[in-house]
Amino acid sequence: MDILSFLKESTGRFGPVGYEQALAKWLKEQFEPLCDEVHIDAFSNVIAVKKPTLKPAGGAAPPKIMYVAHMDEVALLVTAIEKDGSLRVRGMGGVDPKIFPAATVTVHTETGGLFGVIGAKPPHLLTEDDRKKAVKFDDLYIDLGMAADAVKAKVSIGDMVTFHGGMVELLNGRAASKTMDDRSCIAVMLDAAQRLQKLQHAAEVIFCCSTQEEVGGYGAKVGAYSVDPDIGFVLDVTFANYPGAKPDSTVPLDAPAPVCGAYIQHKLLDKLRDTAKNNNIKINMELSPGYTGTDADDVQIARDGVPTVLVGLPLSYMHTTVEVVDIETIRECGRLAAAFAADIEEGWDKDLWI
Amino acid sequence: MDLKTLCELRGLSGREDAVRKAVYDVCVEKLGKENVSFDGNGSVIAVRKATDKALPRVMLAAHMDEVGLVAISATDEGLINVRTIGSVDPRVLLSKRVTVGYGDDAVPGVIGYPPIHLQSQEDYKAAPKLDKLTVDIGAKDKAEAEGKAPKGTHISFDTKYTDFGDGFVCAKALDDRVGVFNLLRLLDAPYGGELIFAFTAQEEVGLRGAYAAGYRAQPDIGIALEGTSANDLGDTPDQFKVCIPGQGPCVSFMDHSSIADHELFKLVLKAGEAENVPHQIKKFIAGGNDAGAIQRAGAGAKTVVISVPCRNIHSPASVCCLKDVDNQLALAKATLKHLMKG
Repeated sequence: MDILSFLKESTGRFGPVGYEQALAKWLKEQFEPLCDEVHIDAFSNVIAVKKPTLKPAGGAAPPKIMYVAHMDEVALLVTAIEKDGSLRVRGMGGVDPKIFPAATVTVHTETGGLFGVIGAKPPHLLTEDDRKKAVKFDDLYIDLGMAADAVKAKVSIGDMVTFHGGMVELLNGRAASKTMDDRSCIAVMLDAAQRLQKLQHAAEVIFCCSTQEEVGGYGAKVGAYSVDPDIGFVLDVTFANYPGAKPDSTVPLDAPAPVCGAYIQHKLLDKLRDTAKNNNIKINMELSPGYTGTDADDVQIARDGVPTVLVGLPLSYMHTTVEVVDIETIRECGRLAAAFAADIEEGWDKDLWI
Repeated sequence: MDLKTLCELRGLSGREDAVRKAVYDVCVEKLGKENVSFDGNGSVIAVRKATDKALPRVMLAAHMDEVGLVAISATDEGLINVRTIGSVDPRVLLSKRVTVGYGDDAVPGVIGYPPIHLQSQEDYKAAPKLDKLTVDIGAKDKAEAEGKAPKGTHISFDTKYTDFGDGFVCAKALDDRVGVFNLLRLLDAPYGGELIFAFTAQEEVGLRGAYAAGYRAQPDIGIALEGTSANDLGDTPDQFKVCIPGQGPCVSFMDHSSIADHELFKLVLKAGEAENVPHQIKKFIAGGNDAGAIQRAGAGAKTVVISVPCRNIHSPASVCCLKDVDNQLALAKATLKHLMKG
């Protein structure tokens, strides 16, 4: 799999939170050549299983390690059609209304996608008062270039609106696109699955592309219940540096960022750090004292509890249409994830709790 | 030369070179090299001689330049600090794509913004300020960023021209490539008097090109072909809507740069009615354009402005109705026809 082509293609695919069905089918096809069995569950999670290549002694069941990265994306939805034919919107997931003036979007209707432009007041007509105000959702409207009657014939309340933001390659192996959150971590899982083709592993490895993370880890909750893993390994993007960031609130773009904190099983994290060290993978530690705001929060408390680690892929400008990641860091995350799976052997949990 | 090609050319005020070359080539092809020249400010001046010297000498003007950004410095982290060229509301810059520099040295960039997750309530409610917005080209440090984008490097919006809706188009720089597009289509317009076609430079930074172009031409009549602000959607009260896309080009009786010659203004309206060209009167006094410079250049001229209504003007995604573009051409032709009638 070529990471850049995967990102270019996958970030342009439709997958708003709760509307991931078509995306799930496509992702299933991406995992099929690399795994033994792939299915889509009732919550549209894609669950791909790679069976162990090493047999445990005494016929014991192999440990199950579950990798999770979410497939859904933040979006907008249509809440009203105005008399002038423009559309009113609200965010699906955490979206900042300030990024939308003069943005272009696709409105997904029953009969297909419509190109739309989000309006911006001309600078010539802005008052001093206007200039001081942040744009709110109430101020936003989508212009479809059609009269109200034509709009009403095509658009329904509740139609999804996705952002435009095709991938651009920047200097130093970085790339910007919409929806790098979290398709870039699905790229990590595909990269890891590819590396595992050449590694021996005693663990059963499950890759889960989860749904509905942007509204609360619901796909991961359901997925972890049915998979019933011994180990959770969650991948999600984390905050990379930006101008004006508070100290300690971000990590650099150029290395994977494993998370430490109460929700993270600390001995499993030590093992992950050993794997990184033994494989010469540079990491930067990140701290989430409690709540991580990722699927890890739900995987950890699935069934009777799952020892879980979380690796952050640093990303600048999260939830905008210009999310920046470092492609080499995606590869390094993939290398770390694959090496960690290969390091899980029989008896991996004997010192886990004491 | 089509509107798509013209809109996608990059030429901020003072660096209109790409547009200038395209315009020059078409003018030379249509009017002959001896009738096309550059003035001291980089405007392209094409002249079509009179067949009837009794008719007024008419200057038709459209500006080649567009608004955008310019690099001023870089942060230690390799992000580019910017200022605007022309009037740009910082609020349209968040989360947009740009091209930094010209020619072989150009690189893509993005304008990021702090993630919503890490904004305090105060940050969330604050309007973005230009000095907090930076262009990210992927540079690792200040030296690399300043190497790629030294102070003064132009940064333009990177927007693909897209047809959408019922005959609408979304692009950067519709202001004033619509005017340039129609000016090129007017090179062979029927008119017996002398025509001076001025493709002006630096309109967005103070009508600089039009002062020189107007002085050199000393026309009897100046007609500026423009793109103007439409503000008709959303919550705008009726009196602030300025004009409505789809209802024809705007004729201005006044804006912030000039008061139209009243007889000429009435002649344009009369011509539109007589030739059945849809048009509207600009309903709000806002903006300014080359007519302000042409009117007062040298010994002065009578001027009027015919504009295509553009939504989201001066943003990466301006919008206009293609029918209005064609009707701007039709209204200019109708006006010339009526000038011949006297």
